[in-house]
Amino acid sequence: MATCPKGHESTASDYCDECGAPIGGAAASPAGSAVAAPATPAGEAAPAASGRSGEPCPECGTPRAGRFCEVCGHDFLAEAGTPATAPPSGEAGPPAGTGTPAGEGGAPTGTSTGSGWRVVVTADRAYYDRMRAAADPGAEDVPFPAYCPERRFGLRPPQVLIGRQSRSRGIEPDIDLTGPPADPAVSHSHAILVAQPDGGWAVVDLGSANGTYVNDGATAIEENTPVPLAAGDRIHLGAWSTLTLRAD
Amino acid sequence: MTQPAAFTAEVFQNQYLPAGGQIVDAVVTVTASGSGLSAGGEAPSAAEVIMVDCSGSMADPATKMSEAKKACAVAIDTLRDGVAFAVVAGRHDARMVYPPSATLAVANPLTRGAAKDAVTRLTASGGTAIGQWLSLANTLFAGHPAEVKHAIMLTDGRNQHETPDQLAATLRNCEGRFTCDSRGVGADWVATELRQVASTLLGTADGLEDPAELPAAFQAMTQQAMGKAVAEAALRVWTPAGSSIRFVKQVFPQVEDLTGRRVDVSPRIGEYPTGSWGAESRDYHVSVEVPAGGVGEELLAARVSLVANGQPLAQSLVLATWTDDTALSTKINQRVAHYTGQAELASVIQEGLAARDAGDVPTATAKLGRAVQLAEESGHSDTAKLLAKVVDVIDAPSGTVRLKPKVAGVDAELANVRSVKTIRVKKTEEGS
Repeated sequence: MATCPKGHESTASDYCDECGAPIGGAAASPAGSAVAAPATPAGEAAPAASGRSGEPCPECGTPRAGRFCEVCGHDFLAEAGTPATAPPSGEAGPPAGTGTPAGEGGAPTGTSTGSGWRVVVTADRAYYDRMRAAADPGAEDVPFPAYCPERRFGLRPPQVLIGRQSRSRGIEPDIDLTGPPADPAVSHSHAILVAQPDGGWAVVDLGSANGTYVNDGATAIEENTPVPLAAGDRIHLGAWSTLTLRAD
Repeated sequence: MTQPAAFTAEVFQNQYLPAGGQIVDAVVTVTASGSGLSAGGEAPSAAEVIMVDCSGSMADPATKMSEAKKACAVAIDTLRDGVAFAVVAGRHDARMVYPPSATLAVANPLTRGAAKDAVTRLTASGGTAIGQWLSLANTLFAGHPAEVKHAIMLTDGRNQHETPDQLAATLRNCEGRFTCDSRGVGADWVATELRQVASTLLGTADGLEDPAELPAAFQAMTQQAMGKAVAEAALRVWTPAGSSIRFVKQVFPQVEDLTGRRVDVSPRIGEYPTGSWGAESRDYHVSVEVPAGGVGEELLAARVSLVANGQPLAQSLVLATWTDDTALSTKINQRVAHYTGQAELASVIQEGLAARDAGDVPTATAKLGRAVQLAEESGHSDTAKLLAKVVDVIDAPSGTVRLKPKVAGVDAELANVRSVKTIRVKKTEEGS
């Protein structure tokens, strides 16, 4: 497996399978032209998300191929809220400088910042029943929790990751639904909330295993596509978790 | 002795783009040769269906029917032993001529004799519904294991006993199931119908000015079908992330826009059907829009290969290099320019003739004038001759023409049906 100057892995050894850049000075190059190798191998090859490709990156102008810019790492989903000087976000995950991971689940971490927005997480019986009715017959049975305290999380721009903590994968969600009670149908990196230029928020499913629903929707929202939300809107995910957006 | 078919692919392009340039054009010439192609050692199994128009008009003049019968006999004689075949009589419906039931017979001296016998008893009466004939051919081919499935369709008239929609629907059903060459004879066939059949079914279309040319034409088509060494090949085009394909066209031996026939293999790779291959050479014009690179950067703009059964037979690379040397970047590759002209030639002839039929004299004069000019520039003398039957040429280099007041219908149809035929650049004229 060869690696091209832009950091893509390529089966072909002459030109990159992904971007067409010559590999290893491309002996096959008839012109023998000096290859101006881009200096910085971009952070990571973004997973070929189903995002609209082709739109130019606002930071460097490179056409979009997925969620992150191939060259500078710009996050297309968070573009509205990201100040132009912000360092390119690294991993597909929480923004740099997350506070302490939410402690043991359950304890309200309502360190609400100036933004004035929060979400309230509850166990939603109606959503649970709907999901069970639609589940495959062979699906593992997830019980509805007998007791679930309301949990509150403040929203801090530019973005907030919703998921379940994974030590092995280094995922520390801002809104950690690890529990108890545990909702096992929530993906580790399930969705993000992205601050919008108008001061509101949008939810983006990150390709979660079981999907994300909005306001009792019958179908899951499209992955990697922001869905704008207003105060009072509800996000359903996992087997029974419902997040209600509040503007205080 | 049984060497596999050898394929080569050659690229003709100017790989140098000016700073900010995004469009890469290239002509890829794919050539099949090698002893495996001519010595029928491991020739793929074949099936052939011959559809002959037996409508009433075939008897007027009677030579059309008699030459068509001769042509069928010649085609039957050209079939290899073991080839599955059938002859269909086309009227407002389609009937089996040989074998009597709706199946394919296996060619051997006995069946060939019987088939020729049946052909001599054909009579001309009835109407024309080409879709019906193709439907029967499709039924005959369906489920047959032959690798190369080829049909010949001969008509002398307009497809008047079914609607254009019916024909289009039938063609959609047949697409990819078999290839079909279509021929018109007499004075009443319609070029657009023949081209529609040939284009969808990856064959050729032509008109015959004299019924006496039929036997030779049938022999040539059958021979070509028998000479196919690769039953089904596709042009596979890889393009880099962030790029888009503007078009993929076959430009030689005839113009055929393949852009809309893409079958996605992966987000970067698409395949375009090309049908079966014998010993022949075809040119493809590929145009790709790539993200602009910095001066001095090089990019693979497309990887073009011919694949059969998932195996690449030949491959070529289309490159892009950005340069600030205008002497390099402003050069236009001769072949790309030539085929751009040939494709324009085909479309102005078709548009010009359509405008002429619609009574739009100024548009027809302008389009056909441009056609005469392009034919002159590229040295396409066959097309120039055909055009001269439709317009009075006053000055070819400037494209000044006058529409002829009276044109034999068949001349306009001939110019139309042959408009897609292209010629190659002469090697000696070719720059880099």
